[in-house]
Amino acid sequence: MNDKPTTCGFCSCGCALYVEPRKSGLGIAGLCPSTTHPVSTGRLCIKGWNATASLVRMDRLQTPLVRKGDELQPASWEEAFAFTVDALKRVMDASGPESVGIIGSAKTTNEECYSLVKFARSILCTPNLDGACRFYDASLIPALLDTVGVAASQVDVESLANAGSMLIVGANVMEQLAHIGSRIQDAVENGCNVVAADPRKSRLAPQARLFLHPKPGSDLTWVRALLKTIFDRKLYVDTAPQMPGFEELRASLDDVVMGVLPQVCGIEPDAIAEAAALLAEKKPCVVMFGLGVLQQQDSTLLVKALVDVALLLGGSVMPLRGQNNAQGACDMGVLRGYLPGYQPIDSAEARAKWEAAWGCSISPQAGLSAVDMVQGGVKALLVFGENVALSAPNTERTLSALENLDFLAVSDLYLTETAQLADVVFPACSFLEKDGTFTSIGRRVQRVRKMIDPVGQSKSDLEIIAGLASAFGKQITADPAAVMAEIAANVPMYAHCSYEQFETGWGEPWRAEAATSRLAPIPATDLQPEDPDYPYQLIASRINFHTQTGTMASRCGILTREYPESVVELNPSDAEKLKLRPGRVVQVSSKAGSLTRRVAVSDAVPQGCVHVPHYFGGDSANMLADYVCDPVSGVPIYKGLPVKIEAVS
Amino acid sequence: MNVGDKLILRKSNVSDFFSSLQGEMQLIAPKKRFAGDVVFDVVNSPEEIVWEYGHDIYPPGKRYIFPHYEDMFSYRRGEQISIDVAAEAPKQAIVAIRSCDVTAVRFQERFFSTPIVDPFYKARAENTVLFSLVCNEPPKKECFCICCDGGPYLETGFDVQLTDLGDRFLYEIGSEKGLRASEPRQQYLEPSSEQDIAERKRIELHADSLFQTASYIAKAIIYITSDEVPDEVWEELGSTCFRCAACTNLCPICTCYTVDDRPEPDGSFTRCRSWDSCQYAGFTREASGHNPRPTFGSRVKRRFYHKASFQYIMRDGRHGCVGCGRCVSSCLTKLDLPSVVKKIRRAMHDYIEPKSRPTAFLQ
Amino acid sequence: MSTEVKTPTLTGAKPRNMWGVTGVPTGNLYVPMPAVIEKIIVETPDTKTFRLRLEDPKHAEWFTWEPGQFVELSVFGAGEAPIGFASSPLERSWFELTIVNRGKVTGLMHELKEGDRVGIRGPLGNCWPLEAIKGKDILIISGGCGLAPLRPAILYILANRQDYGEFWLLYGARTPADINYKYDLVEWEKRDDFHVLQTVDVGDESWTGNVGVVTTLLDQVKLDAANAVALTCGPPIMIKFATLALVKMGFSEDRVVTSLERYMKCGVGKCGHCCVNHVYLCTEGPVFTYAQLQEFPETRA
Repeated sequence: MNDKPTTCGFCSCGCALYVEPRKSGLGIAGLCPSTTHPVSTGRLCIKGWNATASLVRMDRLQTPLVRKGDELQPASWEEAFAFTVDALKRVMDASGPESVGIIGSAKTTNEECYSLVKFARSILCTPNLDGACRFYDASLIPALLDTVGVAASQVDVESLANAGSMLIVGANVMEQLAHIGSRIQDAVENGCNVVAADPRKSRLAPQARLFLHPKPGSDLTWVRALLKTIFDRKLYVDTAPQMPGFEELRASLDDVVMGVLPQVCGIEPDAIAEAAALLAEKKPCVVMFGLGVLQQQDSTLLVKALVDVALLLGGSVMPLRGQNNAQGACDMGVLRGYLPGYQPIDSAEARAKWEAAWGCSISPQAGLSAVDMVQGGVKALLVFGENVALSAPNTERTLSALENLDFLAVSDLYLTETAQLADVVFPACSFLEKDGTFTSIGRRVQRVRKMIDPVGQSKSDLEIIAGLASAFGKQITADPAAVMAEIAANVPMYAHCSYEQFETGWGEPWRAEAATSRLAPIPATDLQPEDPDYPYQLIASRINFHTQTGTMASRCGILTREYPESVVELNPSDAEKLKLRPGRVVQVSSKAGSLTRRVAVSDAVPQGCVHVPHYFGGDSANMLADYVCDPVSGVPIYKGLPVKIEAVS
Repeated sequence: MNVGDKLILRKSNVSDFFSSLQGEMQLIAPKKRFAGDVVFDVVNSPEEIVWEYGHDIYPPGKRYIFPHYEDMFSYRRGEQISIDVAAEAPKQAIVAIRSCDVTAVRFQERFFSTPIVDPFYKARAENTVLFSLVCNEPPKKECFCICCDGGPYLETGFDVQLTDLGDRFLYEIGSEKGLRASEPRQQYLEPSSEQDIAERKRIELHADSLFQTASYIAKAIIYITSDEVPDEVWEELGSTCFRCAACTNLCPICTCYTVDDRPEPDGSFTRCRSWDSCQYAGFTREASGHNPRPTFGSRVKRRFYHKASFQYIMRDGRHGCVGCGRCVSSCLTKLDLPSVVKKIRRAMHDYIEPKSRPTAFLQ
Repeated sequence: MSTEVKTPTLTGAKPRNMWGVTGVPTGNLYVPMPAVIEKIIVETPDTKTFRLRLEDPKHAEWFTWEPGQFVELSVFGAGEAPIGFASSPLERSWFELTIVNRGKVTGLMHELKEGDRVGIRGPLGNCWPLEAIKGKDILIISGGCGLAPLRPAILYILANRQDYGEFWLLYGARTPADINYKYDLVEWEKRDDFHVLQTVDVGDESWTGNVGVVTTLLDQVKLDAANAVALTCGPPIMIKFATLALVKMGFSEDRVVTSLERYMKCGVGKCGHCCVNHVYLCTEGPVFTYAQLQEFPETRA
């Protein structure tokens, strides 16, 4: 067994675990959690216990692949790098660096993210750099930067148990982030008032003092009502009126009409009053929200509204981001319009600093978002560690746009749906096979340590980026410690980080206090009009046994055994109305696409809604979404989509 | 030298003693890890052994005899099927293992040999000798072995039992296997005095008085045996389960496993068994989709039926808990044995009047 | 303490389950014996019967089994699945397994051809109480692929017809296309010492027989419940209703015998998957009387 732990790569909780390599052949022989780590504390979730073993499998990519004719064929690393650089140079010579795009991942290490940013900004000099967070949670970035000033959770996992009240909106947290779910249970045991809001009754229900079931897509309406109630009943903390934006916020809520709540949201005004009272009763208040909020229409505004709730009650916010390095990837600047450390690219001062650090000239353009890039906004695309074919909306349209690219390079563990369309595929290492750091949801920068040898000829993304740089005749180091030293020197929030310091203990979270918080005004927005052709609303949720597009978890026997087949869940009354018995195969379709599932009935699903859990690979509920995005953040709307259900014979 | 001997191993001789033992078998002992963690592992020299440690969450007795992932055999497909049984059973001494884990190893030894003998377990168990270490005080606040006949010291069932008496260990030989491991190293052992035995007795009494977690398992056994606990109680308990299965993975007694055929880079396959859990829905789901234990509650009930029912006591010779406290420290919610036992007892007060409490099986 | 393998009272004979008693010819009870697929019979669109012969004569000589027992079938490259014997126990040189395609192992099995090799561990479990019920009237109720584990018992009884009284078979399938062993049923229906009644849940144009669940056929059965034994096997819901109906007809609880099905891995009482309460189906079952099942609250669901 390795003497030092690594950090689990399945969610953002960031557990430390020890791994015993298998003596011969692929795989691992055992693993156990650290008992002293502040989050894992001797515990792991189902993914940590099981999926780790399945990372090392025979169907992992063994060698680089290069498209020759219609086929991807094994190639050497030199060949793959040269092929890529030739193709990129060809595209850039013809159409300029704006014709190249890069999509990074929230699964790779901080060092890899940083180096990818450096590669994109200083070697390719393209403005088109974005993270896969654009498909998940990017709407929290502008919302939090505008309000609390820090695009991160203000709370760490271990202190959640001390919360006095919690508002948890649109997050299947008990299944998706088990350690946070566990701390919520601890808090409840300590007397915490939990107010949950989710269209569907989730496994949070036993913990919730009050569980609101708003209609999908109607969150902004009831959150505005909640804000209004906090004002009207003067439930805000004494310091709130001094906060910038207090009066503007109050004024923006003048048009709130409590009477519309039952019809618009399916919530009684009394319930909002009760929620406000419960949240204000005990301090500190923590407001949490997940993809249910972050992928809704007007998500940026909705996040701001939830931040306002927290600020008025003197509390803090915790966005529930799922991916293991969601925080770190954004900190490192794998984000449209930002340089590392959330320095805006349109700031000449910020650009000058990084131009000096990297010895290059940085384009002031914000560039295209990942959503624009996969729609064909670029001619050549490099994708690192994200299966965009499944995470982007409208799968059919995405696939054809990816096929139409002049050049697509993909770095991944497996031959994903995206990699199958690529011209070059780089076999990447899993987190067990490389060194680096992940930043957890609690902002703790934690070491990822190499536990086993890389599978086949696979390389870490850092080595791949370094290899590409070198094929361009430039230099990027493949030494993670050296990269971290550069990060620490240039990104203020990581100034305390070094590989020597990581050896001394679990480390402290980077500091999240901002100078001043600001309340944002929350104007009303138009509700999505109802469409009689698509009378049902889609609830797409994440489940315990799955991460993202299923590239890793779908290969784990225990996890697939737990959830062998995705279903579409209906309220029993809807199933009766549609004359659908459990087990019947139906087609769920929206204007963008359709998918086929068996019917299951569940009281947890409200009337008029269908629940499609995200499934392991194959087809994804995302294919029902279209390229309709939140206007501020550009995150596609995946939640509350209008759909119809038809039986398939 | 005989089984039953109580000897003294001076701490100044510990290193030489175990170096000598290391010549015959690999030493597995608590080893220092990162930031205060201790996990058992093969040690290169006796100096690496951490004698003063709390508790290893990864049960060493189970892990080194019934491994987390164990290769059973490998095979190649082709015209003929060639099968290669690659059962590994290294000679090993597990040093400084806690009493509860020794009790659990005895439980598993019995389970894996009754009525049918598991060849892989048997081979490893035969090559393993346990040098257990008495807990002078409960290593963790979660420990409740005292309620479950698991520790903190053993009367029987150990191979060699060590008690820390300050500058020396009391060295008790409890089995033929322990005797065989001791005899070649007689020069490091000396007779014990009456004071040593008295000191040992004092430590026992002191340790017994320090336990913070209690589990009155007997009463829960009565309720579970007679199947009187209403399903609603089980479902309420199950409603908080995260299905991580740490409770069964880390339980030193749990024996369930699953089997997978894994492809290897050389084109062969390995049939591998790995720990499985009755807390997974997929554990019992049949190919047809039918699941005899479809709810969280039914699975939690299953686990406690196996841990604490007279039916299983009859089969296994004891109830299925040694009080090591691992389920307490590893559960993401509060479905550990002491908590559930307590909840069952409390719930039963609500459900039945005293006069109708089940006593049938006691009569 | 109870270390011996319990046998159902009615079963009488000790199951000839050789594990741990005389040792296994492979030397390790987890290591399968290679067997060759001699013949494949397509029963229904998703069901095939495989005739297997153990490759090593030493294995074949050692290998004897009773109706109701099962084997762990290794499909190399996929894994193992428990499958009941489906052929006549009197045939010693080969045996048949009827396999529904619905999983990784059975899926790959369905892709195999005659001449391909699989692995066999067994025989496992206990057996139908064919000795103990001699002289009794026999009523067999089965549904869908539940006929497979009863077929050895039927073939055995037919071969020793004089030892048994009245003999009835009620068989229900989902649709006419889902009926297994059509070739047997045709022959059996011709016999006048064997009453065979069939039904389907949903008929088609060509189906002229009964339509409805299998328990609806019980009205047509003329038997003295006091001197009869019922053997049942099929989906859990069918077993449940059949048992209730039989008890209502006057069958005592120890005269209703059923074979249970559970997810299973090891077959030797170790892996824990098949446990029903405190009983390991693989070593102490799968055949139980209804009276015995009363002791296992978990089977009530």
